Amino acid sequence: MKTYLKLLALVVLVAGSTLLMSHPAAAETTLDKVLKEKKLRVAIDVGNPPFGVLGKDGQPDGSDVAVARQMAKDMGVELEFIQVPSTGRIPALLAGRADVTIASISVTTDRAKTVMYCNPNGALSIVILAPKSTALQKPADMVGKRIGITRATLEEATVPKMAPQGTDIVWFDEIGATIQALLSGQVDAVAMTSFAGKTVADGNPDKQIEPKLTVTTAFYGPIVRPGDFELRQWINTWIFLNTQNGTLAAIYKQHTGLDLPTLPTF
Amino acid sequence: MSGGVSAFTFLYLLEAVPWTLLLSGVAFLGGGVVGLLIAVMRIVPSWPVRWLATGYIELFQGTPVLMQLFIVYYGAAVLFDIHVDAWTAVVLVFTCYSGAFLGEIWRGAIQAIPRAQWEAAACLPLSFRKQLWYVILPQAARISIPPTVGFGVQLIKGTSIAAIIGFVELTRAGQLMTNATFKPMIVYPTVAAFYFLICWPLSLLAETLERRIDANLGIKRRL
Amino acid sequence: MHYVFHFDVVWDHFPELLNGALLTIRLSAIAMVLGLVLGVICAYQASAGPGPVRQAIKLYVEIIRNTPFLVQIFIFYFSLPSIGLRLDANTAAMLAMTINLGAYASEILRSGIEAVPRGQVEAGRALGLSRFQIFRLIILFPALKTVYPALASQFILLMLGSSVVSTISAVELTAITNSLQSTTFRSFEFYFVATGMYLVMALGFRASFIALYWLVFQRGRGA
Repeated sequence: MKTYLKLLALVVLVAGSTLLMSHPAAAETTLDKVLKEKKLRVAIDVGNPPFGVLGKDGQPDGSDVAVARQMAKDMGVELEFIQVPSTGRIPALLAGRADVTIASISVTTDRAKTVMYCNPNGALSIVILAPKSTALQKPADMVGKRIGITRATLEEATVPKMAPQGTDIVWFDEIGATIQALLSGQVDAVAMTSFAGKTVADGNPDKQIEPKLTVTTAFYGPIVRPGDFELRQWINTWIFLNTQNGTLAAIYKQHTGLDLPTLPTF
Repeated sequence: MSGGVSAFTFLYLLEAVPWTLLLSGVAFLGGGVVGLLIAVMRIVPSWPVRWLATGYIELFQGTPVLMQLFIVYYGAAVLFDIHVDAWTAVVLVFTCYSGAFLGEIWRGAIQAIPRAQWEAAACLPLSFRKQLWYVILPQAARISIPPTVGFGVQLIKGTSIAAIIGFVELTRAGQLMTNATFKPMIVYPTVAAFYFLICWPLSLLAETLERRIDANLGIKRRL
Repeated sequence: MHYVFHFDVVWDHFPELLNGALLTIRLSAIAMVLGLVLGVICAYQASAGPGPVRQAIKLYVEIIRNTPFLVQIFIFYFSLPSIGLRLDANTAAMLAMTINLGAYASEILRSGIEAVPRGQVEAGRALGLSRFQIFRLIILFPALKTVYPALASQFILLMLGSSVVSTISAVELTAITNSLQSTTFRSFEFYFVATGMYLVMALGFRASFIALYWLVFQRGRGA
């Protein structure tokens, strides 16, 4: 009987010390680590057109994906994509699975409490989309309708605030599900970026999806963990240079069809 | 992104199947080791050890797998400051989950062995550990094969939950393909068909083994 | 990275979590009752029904038991509208859970039915009872008593499995937890508490089932 207790104590001790010993040495900065290991891990969301999509060949594509590729190339390191769903964009960064998240994270004060924003690399607007036949001209028309929204997005932060009482908001974990819900008629309308909306409309001409209301416009930028000032500074410098030489504008135009607006800096 | 299913769609789904099988296999093997430990811990004379094993089983059988995944994937990393990627998270969770269920199955099998066997082994004389290893476990192993295979099927189906944290196995591949093709009526039933083709033969195997062992041992099937 | 726990945020939103738990209980309880009824009907038809019906039920059971629940609810919610059948999220979840449980319950009951002594059935036939009367009066009650533990386990698995219906926007504890943690960024704290709530619910259901067993099967009833 005593032997088992001793064995148990030994197992617990070994397990406990292994966990404690796995605490990494935190002397170097994230930028140092990226340069030393020659690998930049970028969290992306491939279910979020046009910023991140899965191409026909199964490889990630999209405007933010293209930005990440160029960034890694200019940094002279290898690129590793960490694919996450919309709800995982910030947690993946905070948990250390990625060094930076480039997934159209709109700038909001709430998010700024937990992550550090780099200068914006693009702009988007959140619109409410519905089939042509649905009557939705003003916010009051939302009453009694089911509006599909994706969690952990800008539309989650903004639409419930402007939706009148009596709107039935339906929540999904990722934009793919929200899109499916609209196409299958499970919801009357959805809120998402105008770009995503355009992709959905173009891919389903028979459904005649069109934007009805604009909820808000926002700039989005890459995010890093609190404290990674060196990495943030490098990314800001990179964004400055690539705004000047037109690379960012070219990528933006290629994937969204629009001209890149003047990007603010902070 | 355009709509429409192509050969690429099916190929993409097919290529995800090995990931489902790999995850299931690794979790099954890992869970097997854990399960054996738990099963033995449940029958030793020491009550704190039994208590611990019971607590482990209650925890993993009494909480949703999805929640276990969320906690490990989103939580454990910040807690212990270690990098947990999707693969590590799913392997860890499904191993612990398998360990709990396999532990219960094997404990049941061990306890199904008649007391007389234990007593005869003690008379030989063999220590508790030797009784277990040379006399009891071989017999228990035989009885436990059908429900163990049955659990294998549960595990393969259970790995579909890994899709929710973005791990690309068969179900997630289905979600991504639905997003790319806008044809859920074709993609999801295809995904279901793939699972069926994998699981059904195993289920039939479990049933066949069950009938054979029941007949051989003359033991009424325990419920 | 130094993480500071903020469980106070969770306590602020506790009423919402509690509401989510109640929704889970309600969803699961209704699906348990309906699923059991479906299972009884299928078990009866599987042994006493005409040939084609028996085949259809076997097909239904095998498909449900060899495909993941997550894929089943995706098909109910995303795929069916393409052929004209549109169910809202909560209805789709309820239906999927009922159909899922029905298949498992019918299999579990089948083994319970087989365990009823042949002599009882023959006695019923000798008395001139119809097949249906034999099932209702002689077989059903003892079968339910025999398989009660297996059924109770399956019910609890169903309740825990209900957490994945959050992916089709059905409203229950997991969905509410997801919404709360994505707006407050306190993922670990919320998932930890929600997991605890599931554990409490699982134990609660188990206790209720034990009490129910005593009430229905143990109070002076002959069979």
